[in-house]
Amino acid sequence: MKLKQFFAEHRRLWLGLGSVLFVLVAWEALLTYVFPLNPFFFTKPSLIAVAFKEQVIYGALWGDLAVSSKAFLWGFSFAILVGIPLGAVMGWRRKAGYTLDPFFTALYASPLVALAPLIIVVFGVGLFAKSVLVFALSVFPFIFNTFAGVRSTDRLLINVVRSFGGGEKDLYLKVIFPSTLPYIIAGARIALGRGLVGIIVGEFYAASEGIGYAISRFGDTYRLPEMFAAIFLLMIAAVALTEGMRKLEDVLAPWKPSQERR
Amino acid sequence: MKRLANFYTEREQSILGGGFILLLILLWELMPRLVPPSKGFSLFFTTPWKVVEAAYQLFVENKIQEHFYVSSIEFLAGLGLAIVVGLPLGLLTGRSRNLDAMVDPFVTIFNATPRLIFLPLFILWFGIGIWSKIMIVFIGAVFPLLINTYEGVKNVDRVLVNVVRSFGANEWQIMKIVVLPNSVPYIVAGLRLAIGRAILGVVVGEFFGASKGLGFLIATAATNYKVDVVFAGVAIFMGLSLILTMAVKKIESNLSRWRPEEAKTF
Repeated sequence: MKLKQFFAEHRRLWLGLGSVLFVLVAWEALLTYVFPLNPFFFTKPSLIAVAFKEQVIYGALWGDLAVSSKAFLWGFSFAILVGIPLGAVMGWRRKAGYTLDPFFTALYASPLVALAPLIIVVFGVGLFAKSVLVFALSVFPFIFNTFAGVRSTDRLLINVVRSFGGGEKDLYLKVIFPSTLPYIIAGARIALGRGLVGIIVGEFYAASEGIGYAISRFGDTYRLPEMFAAIFLLMIAAVALTEGMRKLEDVLAPWKPSQERR
Repeated sequence: MKRLANFYTEREQSILGGGFILLLILLWELMPRLVPPSKGFSLFFTTPWKVVEAAYQLFVENKIQEHFYVSSIEFLAGLGLAIVVGLPLGLLTGRSRNLDAMVDPFVTIFNATPRLIFLPLFILWFGIGIWSKIMIVFIGAVFPLLINTYEGVKNVDRVLVNVVRSFGANEWQIMKIVVLPNSVPYIVAGLRLAIGRAILGVVVGEFFGASKGLGFLIATAATNYKVDVVFAGVAIFMGLSLILTMAVKKIESNLSRWRPEEAKTF
């Protein structure tokens, strides 16, 4: 009876875990008992686990992950430093908004990743080109979310601060920044995904190290278990970052406005 | 003078926005004449006019049409597949709590991961032909569609569902009469995101192990330092995604006037 109650209470968790386990077991069983495994074409969880242990716990994948993270952090930090002030100016100064909005919209809507080959040819293979790519992709969510956040600041609150004699500084610190924060964090989550795309494409295209390079190298040499291990490592990192950002959103901005989930 | 001022204030937004873009293009065109670029730099430099010329040249040689044809097939097939899979799955997970709980971990994991990492795997599985690109487009586009459809179904008014059910509708009729119409704005929003992901998939998929397509055109031009061709290709992609996203955005704003202002997302 207790067990049943426990199950009912955590139904979602159990069903989720169960389906993941089921997929893993079915994958393993199908390739062990039903179909003969062609190691150049497919692999199974037990082999991936061995490769994961080798590559992640003892091996070189951490180095690759570190290289990728470095490029990501540089690009992302600059995106924050440039995007938030730009968005704030666009939201606060009407004319600046009018002037810059169409240009940035065009850039945001277009697949800037198409410039990746050129960026790599111009800036060379390495940290700098990858950082530029990450920056170019992840700056726009910061710009536009800050823009929308500043614009949707409650005029009443602004007028209240002004009436009580608050200066420009109070306005920014006490009203505009707090009310824009949820937008910025939501933007950060979108920027995160785009930045990861930048890293991956940059490293697929031309690199000598990094997690994307590791994946494409393992693919080229038909080392499928290692390739899946690298993919899983990246997945874990991506989920941790995204969910971390979501948590941050809940902590820093529990009053967040309605946002589509994506 | 007054009329001119009026003209300006009425159209301030488009004059400032359009003017800024024109100004940038003009500056770009004039830059090499104002500051002569050094020899090494001119290798990577091009002007808008040269880009237009390169695009025209490619068009005359029938190259653009050829590459465009391949890319658009990949785009349409991948996006079509994503709609066929994503919509029903979104509707089902939105209606059934158990199915939702079972699918949710996979959706969360795949949605957080840039799906482009599967490209080497897909090239291994489906070869360097058109199918590996279709699959990468599919896996990129399916999640925004699925998630937005799911959200639409979840946000359906319980009262409406109960009313229809009280009048004896079965699950299929509930779906048709209440759930689906209510989810349309969400689905269109998902479609807009999916189009962006699909174009991304086409571009990047064609960078690697391809022999046709606009992405391939860009990648080979970049390695041969034909910067004007690179920009011509990028401009085509830009134009296409702008037209497509604006069209969907228009539909979206017609469908959902009642929703609060949100930040732009692509």
